[in-house]
Amino acid sequence: MIEDRELDAWREQWNSAAEPSADFQRKIQQRIKREDRRFVLGNILTVIAFVGILIFALYMRHQSSWMGTGWATSICVLVFVSAGIRIWVLRRTWRPETQSTRAFVELWYKRVAARIRLLRISTYLSIGWLIFCAALMAVHWSIIGQDVRAHPKGWVALLVACVLMQPAVLWYGAAWLLRRKLAELNEVKQILDEMSGNSAP
Amino acid sequence: MSERRDLEEQFDRILSEHGAAVSRLAFSYEAVASVREELVQEIALAIWQALAHFRGECSERTFVYRIAHNRGLSHVWKRRPPHQPLEEIEESDQPIDPRPHPEEQVAQTDRRTRLMSAIQSLPVTHRQMIVLMLEGLSHAQMAEVLGITENNVAVRLNRARNMLKDALGERP
Repeated sequence: MIEDRELDAWREQWNSAAEPSADFQRKIQQRIKREDRRFVLGNILTVIAFVGILIFALYMRHQSSWMGTGWATSICVLVFVSAGIRIWVLRRTWRPETQSTRAFVELWYKRVAARIRLLRISTYLSIGWLIFCAALMAVHWSIIGQDVRAHPKGWVALLVACVLMQPAVLWYGAAWLLRRKLAELNEVKQILDEMSGNSAP
Repeated sequence: MSERRDLEEQFDRILSEHGAAVSRLAFSYEAVASVREELVQEIALAIWQALAHFRGECSERTFVYRIAHNRGLSHVWKRRPPHQPLEEIEESDQPIDPRPHPEEQVAQTDRRTRLMSAIQSLPVTHRQMIVLMLEGLSHAQMAEVLGITENNVAVRLNRARNMLKDALGERP
């Protein structure tokens, strides 16, 4: 067997580098319990949110208010379409960390690319949602018009909040996220290139 | 309930056997002691979450190293800049060297710090090669962790080793 003194010296230094702290296992157990609780709470909140939206839609329907039904329907449509698109776009891009590093990075790349696609779709979806709401308003204008004439200030505030602020906030956020995701995509591509040996040593 | 207890026992055993290796591995991805401890906890959590689906397709050691490296890679991306000066390492929980000569102790700490700093300065893929080599994995095991061929491991390991020597200033 060939002696590799350099490697032995490095190993000796490396092995003396770090030991887990004495209460390492206790801290891990605490963290696991915390994450378990967070997972359960997250699921409960999601179910509550979905059921809440459905109850809200049904309640509005019984109130025989066209406005309320319209809003409830549009929110339901938005939530379900968004969830459906998200699942569809991100399919087969989950990142199981038990795979080899190369497989993990390849999936990571696909996932980031899918998220960028999702961001672009979301931008169009938000425009679509506004058009959908505008169409609902137009269809029921005979009823809504009376309310607009009765409460003009409230409607101006609603118009500013929904039609002007929402796109501005959403699109600004989407642009910021898109820049971040593109940077991540470049980084992951660089790692993949390094793995393939395409980069300069 | 019994299944959960079995998993907990298996997890405890994995942490006792590979906990030190995971801690060392975290050194290559994070220089700041407090953040490194957080990273070690994240790796352990990821191992726990994946353990229920582990069917022995690879060795337990490969399973742990894969998760640790993949988590480390994500950590490098999330935390920018990717590596920071090692000043904080000096105040971290370094094990106390039992040897009585303070000069030798200082020199050893210095060599260790230089090695760590040099490893952290390497590109992540080379860093992984070096860490796996220092952990004593065979070429076949490295190939299994990284998802590349054994020939590729040999080539890249040679390149990574030369880069480490350059970083340490050991090559003429």
